[in-house]
Amino acid sequence: MIPPGEPDLTGSPSFDIEGKEMETLAFQGLVGLSVAMYLWLLAAGLTIVFGVLGVLNFAHGSLFMLGAYFAFTFYGLWGVNFWLAIALSLVSVAVVGYLMERFFLRHIYNQDHAYQLLLTFGFILILDDAVKIVWGGVAKIPPMPSFFEGTVSVVGRPFPVYNLFIIGAGLFVAVLVWLLFEKTWWGKMVRASASDREMAGAIGINIPTLFTGVFAFGAILAALGGALGTPVRVVAPGIGAAMIIQAFIITVIGGLGNLKGAFVGALIVGTLSAYGILLFPVFELFLIFLIMAVVLMIKPQGLFGS
Amino acid sequence: MRERKKISRRAFLKTAAAGIGGITLGLKGIEASAQDKTPAKAKPARKALGVDVIKLGGQGVISGAHADYGWQIQGGATLAIEEINAKGGVLGSKLELKFMDEELKPAVAVKNARYLATEWGAHLLFGVDSSGSAMAIGPILPELDRICMFDHASTHRLTEELVYEKGIKQIFRIAAPVYQEGNLAAMIFKEFPNIKRWAGIHCDYEYGYSSWALFKDTLKKYRPDVEFVAIAWAPFWTMDFSSHISAVMAANPDGIHATPWAGEGVMLLRQALMLGVFDKIQAWFQCMGASVDILEGISNEVAAGKFKDKLWATARYIHNYPDTPENKKFVEAFRKRWNRFPNYSAENAYSTIYVFKAALEKSRSLKTADLVKAIEGMKIMTPAGERFFRPEDHQAIYAVPGGRVVKDPNYPIPVLGDLKVFPAQAYYRNPPFEPLKMGK
Repeated sequence: MIPPGEPDLTGSPSFDIEGKEMETLAFQGLVGLSVAMYLWLLAAGLTIVFGVLGVLNFAHGSLFMLGAYFAFTFYGLWGVNFWLAIALSLVSVAVVGYLMERFFLRHIYNQDHAYQLLLTFGFILILDDAVKIVWGGVAKIPPMPSFFEGTVSVVGRPFPVYNLFIIGAGLFVAVLVWLLFEKTWWGKMVRASASDREMAGAIGINIPTLFTGVFAFGAILAALGGALGTPVRVVAPGIGAAMIIQAFIITVIGGLGNLKGAFVGALIVGTLSAYGILLFPVFELFLIFLIMAVVLMIKPQGLFGS
Repeated sequence: MRERKKISRRAFLKTAAAGIGGITLGLKGIEASAQDKTPAKAKPARKALGVDVIKLGGQGVISGAHADYGWQIQGGATLAIEEINAKGGVLGSKLELKFMDEELKPAVAVKNARYLATEWGAHLLFGVDSSGSAMAIGPILPELDRICMFDHASTHRLTEELVYEKGIKQIFRIAAPVYQEGNLAAMIFKEFPNIKRWAGIHCDYEYGYSSWALFKDTLKKYRPDVEFVAIAWAPFWTMDFSSHISAVMAANPDGIHATPWAGEGVMLLRQALMLGVFDKIQAWFQCMGASVDILEGISNEVAAGKFKDKLWATARYIHNYPDTPENKKFVEAFRKRWNRFPNYSAENAYSTIYVFKAALEKSRSLKTADLVKAIEGMKIMTPAGERFFRPEDHQAIYAVPGGRVVKDPNYPIPVLGDLKVFPAQAYYRNPPFEPLKMGK
């Protein structure tokens, strides 16, 4: 590990792509993987909410943004411990999610999809303006906790400790979410109501309460993505909208409502755009749309969709 | 705590709503009474320009991650207008500002320009942060019959193509264009014989294309030995530059030339630090890195010496140059009014208003054709130094230095030090302009 502030003299001074193809690809893949983890956290909540509630939540990115703002406020402004700040941010956004579902979304489940679109789109505008009123329009820059500074050497190049942490956190959440849905009673109830809402209700599952819980859970995942980004990004109105398009592409590639699909889709989009930037800088933007188009042509329901 | 905040916010919103309602009613009242009075009461003294107020329609981005730029435009313009109105206005007429959010979207900017000129009745237009917006507004100015003073949008094509080639005389630009990003950077780094391998991390739109093209073009003229080894294009609103940084670092560059600005610039620099870039390279030129919002954003990292004095930047004005009474007075007034240092877009907007004042006083007319004549060839002292509006392309000629981003005990935020000053004529492109190959 290279201590921050020390010049790295160990790295080869003439590092070049020629002759180091495999190392370069491995390193770029690892960087792409860390980017993919933020996308996974965002896409996970989006796809869970769609799979269970049947609602395509356009405002999911706004919950991501709120997660970042709350984490910034607790950690960057009030000096709360980093981990506690993230936990508090998740709780705060869960409350916002609870209120959104309990008082708004609940009333439109039986309505046409256009109403869901209008309502959730309305929330984007409301929440964007709300953060402008509370925090102002200027981008906030939260500090990096000192224990995350520094790099480790990966194939002879410095790789940030924080990105390793993000990869670990993303995988950890993936396992946790899988256990929650596959191994717990709550998860079984959620899956039951996702596959047959009426039957699940008939055998005594309190569907409205369950839906509120699922929506709040999706909000927590979005907030985690936002909060974990704060030490390396900026917090500004509109960061949710900047991310949500990619999250939609991921859920479409993976299959709408499919959790495994969201994970694989995030990995595909994160790593392939990293490789696109390295190998085809001119077509990079176009690349993920191309992947989506190809997937939709071969499997219109997405990779894991049914 | 949270609960209390919520209640007070609701109360605040209620008050705000009531307040806005009140203001609107109040304004309507004033308007109505003014209309009632005008015909009845003959004006004692006729205004030289024939109007009570000269309406100035401004635009900038005041939402999203780049909002500080529009805010600074608004802040600079407002300060100038307040100063001028306090001294009786321009030839007895007061200045009035209406400022709109262009959202960095050309369609919005065009809609705003049309609204400001035709419905609101702006006599003069200024502003615009986005190059795309500027290129969209330029061509409709003859039809609107209004001047627009561009005070931030920086593509060279605005003045080189739209004014010099196509002859759209209503376009003027007070801000230094991408000659700052491209040509000045090349002038600085041609002096560093050991920096031979350059890479770019650039905005995937007009601004990034033109900056990178000018940098390569100029540097290659002076230094045929340099190579441009890697380029990564980042779309607008990139949240994570890690993949871009690691991609160009794979080519082992000596120097990096980068355009992402505002919050994106801060993110790029923070993520480059994380990836240990400043241990490997010799110089990083963050084009508009001397903008106040970026300097504020990386203040802790600069103070901790993390950039190892390898971070270079410029801007379209920096508050610590030039050392003139005009500049000192402006910085002091701006800090007093807004409690912040002025960004370049603030100075550019402030000076815009004074150029308008000078043009109105010189031509004693509100006619666009007269004002165009008044501004063409104008020499005017501004906080950024003396500006000369070159008649051929309507570009204001003035020099802004580049330098290293350093911590200075005299300032609460980092500033540019080790300043490299070149006369504007030496690094601005001059007519006739050679066409430049640019794009991805």
